[in-house]
Amino acid sequence: MNEILKFDNVKYFYQTKDDEICALDNISFNVNEEEFVSIVGPSGCGKTTILSLIAGLLKPSSGEVILDGSNKIDTKKIGYMFQRDMLFEWRSVWKNITLGLELQKGNRDEKLAFAEELLKKYSLYNFKNKKPRSLSGGMRQRVALIRTLVLEPKLLLLDEPFSALDFQTRLNLCDDVYEIIKSEKKTAILVTHDISEAISMSDKIIVLSSRPAHVKDEIKLDLKGTTPLKKREDSSFSGYFEKIWRELTNEEKSENG
Amino acid sequence: MKKKAKTVNFSLSHKKYVKKLRQDKFIVIFFRIFVLVAFLGLWELLTYTKVLDPFFVSSPSRIIAQLGDMIASGTLFHHTWVTLYETLIGFLIATVLGYLIAVLLWWNEKVRRIFEPYIVVLNSLPKIALGPVIILWVGSGTNAIVLMCVLICIVITTMTMLSAFINCDEGKILLLKSMNANKFQILWKLVLPSSMKDFISVLKINVGMSFVGSIMGEYLTSKAGLGYLIVYGGQIFKIDLVMSATFVLCILAFAMYSLVSLLERVYKK
Repeated sequence: MNEILKFDNVKYFYQTKDDEICALDNISFNVNEEEFVSIVGPSGCGKTTILSLIAGLLKPSSGEVILDGSNKIDTKKIGYMFQRDMLFEWRSVWKNITLGLELQKGNRDEKLAFAEELLKKYSLYNFKNKKPRSLSGGMRQRVALIRTLVLEPKLLLLDEPFSALDFQTRLNLCDDVYEIIKSEKKTAILVTHDISEAISMSDKIIVLSSRPAHVKDEIKLDLKGTTPLKKREDSSFSGYFEKIWRELTNEEKSENG
Repeated sequence: MKKKAKTVNFSLSHKKYVKKLRQDKFIVIFFRIFVLVAFLGLWELLTYTKVLDPFFVSSPSRIIAQLGDMIASGTLFHHTWVTLYETLIGFLIATVLGYLIAVLLWWNEKVRRIFEPYIVVLNSLPKIALGPVIILWVGSGTNAIVLMCVLICIVITTMTMLSAFINCDEGKILLLKSMNANKFQILWKLVLPSSMKDFISVLKINVGMSFVGSIMGEYLTSKAGLGYLIVYGGQIFKIDLVMSATFVLCILAFAMYSLVSLLERVYKK
């Protein structure tokens, strides 16, 4: 499989008036096409910083981020999905999902047709002209995902997109999002601190240490099941959970000790 | 969207609840009107029985007679139009200009930081203090009055809009940035539409403020207008005239406020 993303000894420093904070310390990993990779780590360790670097919103202090063979990040190849759905309340669902297209120049007809098709496929077509406030939390995140997919990104960045939802909705939406991402054949990077969510969705998990973050472990997963919910039933699930749990708690102990 | 009347038979408690809602609404409207009628009635009664001297406090009947005279002679329309014209021009200039300045200050953070203290000072300065200077600069009459009106409204417009722009959801800005939006697109697609609510409240504030401006301007320098009538009436001890002009002002301000409310309702749809 082709490599789509590579972090090569990436360091990142945040500048403040009195201090220079090292957020990332020599991070290296890679992501292949159509792979689902999760990044877990103690809170505040710099997970979101990694996504911002991939999205080109930040530049590495040293080292290289190589996206699709180039160290110049082309934001068109990236789709970013946030913790909150970030839907624009004054726009209809349709106007929300075509927001990204409005920002682009050139012919949009083909992409508009694609947007319509996605709405139909993921059963949101009836809500096309509704305002976001009449949608449930899970539906809103699905709209947010479609808004991202319409731009046909090569790589999806998911920044804890489920954490603002209640547990039931969360499990269902995990299944939905997983299915959508797999059927659209997308590569995705998920940042989360929910270990079981990471295990149930990913092909690979990258465990980060606390700040300054370095890669503590890279775990390849092979669980049976076609959906995240089914994967939770796999016998090796709890083993993985314990392993990652221990790695993260050790991390917190050493941080406190 | 109007909800269709449902023909479902609700429980008795629901019927009671709806009845109570209706009753409450009726009580509020009834007493609203009652307060007005009682106030006018008492006023009329006290002046009619000479408990209060109508020379100093006027009376509803005298105000009606005064308004009747002025309508017959056509002066009421003239004075009302002059004030309305000044107020509307001042209102429009201040709102548009104040809005544009807010956009400019949002656009460039350095410029914003440079001008911040000046805006704060301008905001707390009583604009009436500039009266004599204004007359010297733009002459007496309409120009001075409109300028006074603009000065009073513009600073608050800029300050309110700027803070609305700055408080725009950072996450949504990040989303647009991740979609490769430029600064103009962030302004146009996000910052301006998301601040529409604040813009409507600015309009509401400015309705009141622009009347303050035009009446104050007319106090300073004028040959016509409701403010002129009030000052003139006060000078010749004709309180009927003062009260009549004030009454018309109330109606104008209420009408303008209603227009803005209408705009708000249209926008919310």
